[in-house]
Amino acid sequence: MEDGGGERERLTLVARKPCFGLPTACPKSLPVYIYLRFSKIPFSLEFNLIHPDSDQIPFVESGDYVAYNNEKGGVIPNLKEDGIVDLDSEVSGIPEWVSIKAMVESWLADAIMYELWVGCDGKSAQKIYYSDLPWPIGKILYFKQVLVVKQLLGITSDNADRREEEIYSRAALAYGALSSRLGEQSFFFDNRPTSLDAAFLGHVLFVLHALPETSVLRSKLLSHSNLVSYAENLKMEYVDANLSSSSVPQSDPSSSASKRVPSHWSSKPRSKAKREKTEEEKKFRRRAKYFLATQLLLF
Amino acid sequence: MDAQPESGPQSKEPESPNPDPEPYEEIEEDEEPEKDEDLEHEEGEEPKTMTPEARTRKDRANMEALFRRLSTERVPVRVHDVIIKGNTKTKDSLIESEVEAVFRDATSFQQLLRAASLANTRLQDLDIFDSVNITLDAGPPELPGTANVVIEVTEAKNPLTGDLGIYSKPEARSWSLEGSLKLKNLFGYGDLWDGSVAYGWGQTSEVSTGFSIPRFKGISTPLSARISLLSQDWLKFSSYKEQALGLSLGLLSTGNHDLSYNLSWRTLTDPSQMSSHTVRRQLGHSLLSALKYGFKIDQRDSPMRPTRGHAFVSTTQIGGLFPDLRSLRFIRQELDLRYAIPLGFYRAALNFGISGGVIFPWGNGSLNAPSYLPERFFMGGNSSPVCSLRGPTSVLGFKARGLGPAEPRRLVRENSNDGSSSDSGIDHIGGDLAVTAFADLSFDLPLRVFRDAGIHGHIFACTGSLNKLTENAYKGFSLQKFRDSFRSSQDLESLYPPSYSVWSNKIIYYKEDSRCGNML
Repeated sequence: MEDGGGERERLTLVARKPCFGLPTACPKSLPVYIYLRFSKIPFSLEFNLIHPDSDQIPFVESGDYVAYNNEKGGVIPNLKEDGIVDLDSEVSGIPEWVSIKAMVESWLADAIMYELWVGCDGKSAQKIYYSDLPWPIGKILYFKQVLVVKQLLGITSDNADRREEEIYSRAALAYGALSSRLGEQSFFFDNRPTSLDAAFLGHVLFVLHALPETSVLRSKLLSHSNLVSYAENLKMEYVDANLSSSSVPQSDPSSSASKRVPSHWSSKPRSKAKREKTEEEKKFRRRAKYFLATQLLLF
Repeated sequence: MDAQPESGPQSKEPESPNPDPEPYEEIEEDEEPEKDEDLEHEEGEEPKTMTPEARTRKDRANMEALFRRLSTERVPVRVHDVIIKGNTKTKDSLIESEVEAVFRDATSFQQLLRAASLANTRLQDLDIFDSVNITLDAGPPELPGTANVVIEVTEAKNPLTGDLGIYSKPEARSWSLEGSLKLKNLFGYGDLWDGSVAYGWGQTSEVSTGFSIPRFKGISTPLSARISLLSQDWLKFSSYKEQALGLSLGLLSTGNHDLSYNLSWRTLTDPSQMSSHTVRRQLGHSLLSALKYGFKIDQRDSPMRPTRGHAFVSTTQIGGLFPDLRSLRFIRQELDLRYAIPLGFYRAALNFGISGGVIFPWGNGSLNAPSYLPERFFMGGNSSPVCSLRGPTSVLGFKARGLGPAEPRRLVRENSNDGSSSDSGIDHIGGDLAVTAFADLSFDLPLRVFRDAGIHGHIFACTGSLNKLTENAYKGFSLQKFRDSFRSSQDLESLYPPSYSVWSNKIIYYKEDSRCGNML
């Protein structure tokens, strides 16, 4: 079968299901997707909806070649080592780059894991991982995963509060450091995307879109507006563009700004902008009240 | 005085009826059919002056007259009452329901004896009694021509039995250790509870527990339920491991029909991380909720070494009915046909057989969807198709799962300096449409020592074809392609040339044993 063979030779990313307006809603799969979009290599996206507890997913395949998530440190190091795509050749020697990447992949990854499975009510996790599995299987696997995560993070009934505080404070420290490192730049290093940008962008997009509004982690992230705008800009340029075909990204950034945003994403940014506006409006109103009060007193 | 033969578990002899309350000698019997006393045969009192020898001669003469009368005349009698003795735990209703229909239809003495034998067998088959005695007694004097049936059972003293064994599986070339514990008649309804463990080195392991009940209150067919945890290792053949936690319920099991329901949680994993594309796409969890209906006719004289008769089996499985719509949806149909013709010398017989099977998913988008990998048909193995009636699975001469579509496994580059890649091997991924056929000549070997040991010879030829229909493959499917897909044993060496007209000749030796034809 020629067509089948041809399709299989193409680079394919197999990830977890898309939802919350993201091309893939799993915090491990999203950085790999973004990395491939940064590299501008054409690839197709497929989903595995029935194996939420597999550490082999996400994986990248092309014909007989497969790069699994649980080998050699992840899919991205695999792709680098096998010579498929390497965006870090010039930065991987910089100590600061390495330590920032390590911070993102440890502290921030732990924070997401905690927030998704323990911190919030679990609705996001159920939707991403278990909504396509029959009910009894989904429920059992969910509870099993919650136990696994608690074990991984070292959370017991005695130290639960302490660990939560520790995880959130580390995340807050990381956000602060990243925010001051980034400033107003488009990327962290060299004004070009690296796997650090892929990892952090994946993290930010997940926290902003997939976690509920009541999430503590989300509110900590929202306090750094430059990180939020960094994420939104890159999302518009690399992720939103050509979402339907998801094969060849638009290389011209100016055209993507005028591109119509796909309808199923439109609600999220609007609501977020509305929220920000509401906070500013509140501030303005408060100031206006003080001003009016002062004027009245004067009169 | 009653003359009651002891009936052991294998006895199929009719029981002797109780003679009239006249002094008769006790008659000791072993395995011979008994037709000695007539219920209505009133015997007069013997004069006390007769010598013992004369008395014996007279008795013998009376018995012979009775035999003649029984064999030539039809003596009408009907059953008035069934009296059950000896059951402390077992419910009367269970025993009555097993034997009631049999005795109700008996209208003559011969029929009554046959019915008694049948009832004895049925009660023995319940497997909860150590012994069963059925005695025929005269009915109440005011009702002539009636008999009472007295059933005396001895319940098993020890309700717990167990067994342990090591079995070989020739088609998988492995061994398995199996042990089971059975608890009989816990609640007095003839219920059998059992737990079993089977451990196969590197292949299949299973832990299961179940119960079966021959009849319960209003339901007259046997019911059974089983919970099992099964683990199968197919890494060597198809790069996946399967775990299944399942509940199966036997709903109907009468005569030729069998209906059961199976609910199981199946997980496919690949710890080797070497699987091919098709297998990678199927790894994960699934819920199987399927109704299975089987229809079987087996008129062959022996299931192990048939020399005459025919057999037909049809198995239909429909998955995805309930409870959850996201469970696996498929329809699977298997057919088996066997025919044996005796040749009249050396116990030789010609056996022909054809088996076919098809699986396809149903529901939205089913035309593009793949069929579930473990439910597909796989062919090959070393089990004989002559004695197995398990669908199109065995084609002798191929290794396990060796026939049919295959895909290359993942390629792992060992060393970038090396430049060459390690041999990845192939995964057998099974097919959706399967057909096997065979022709077999079985015969006794000329040496007596082989005949006595039950070893006989076979010359066979078999062929099989396995094709993919799902994922739009049916569009490119044609009769020519179907013909070209047949492989026979001779084609083991060369995989691809068409094998339409080639048959193989092989002579292999099989020992008759009770575990012929294990499922792959």
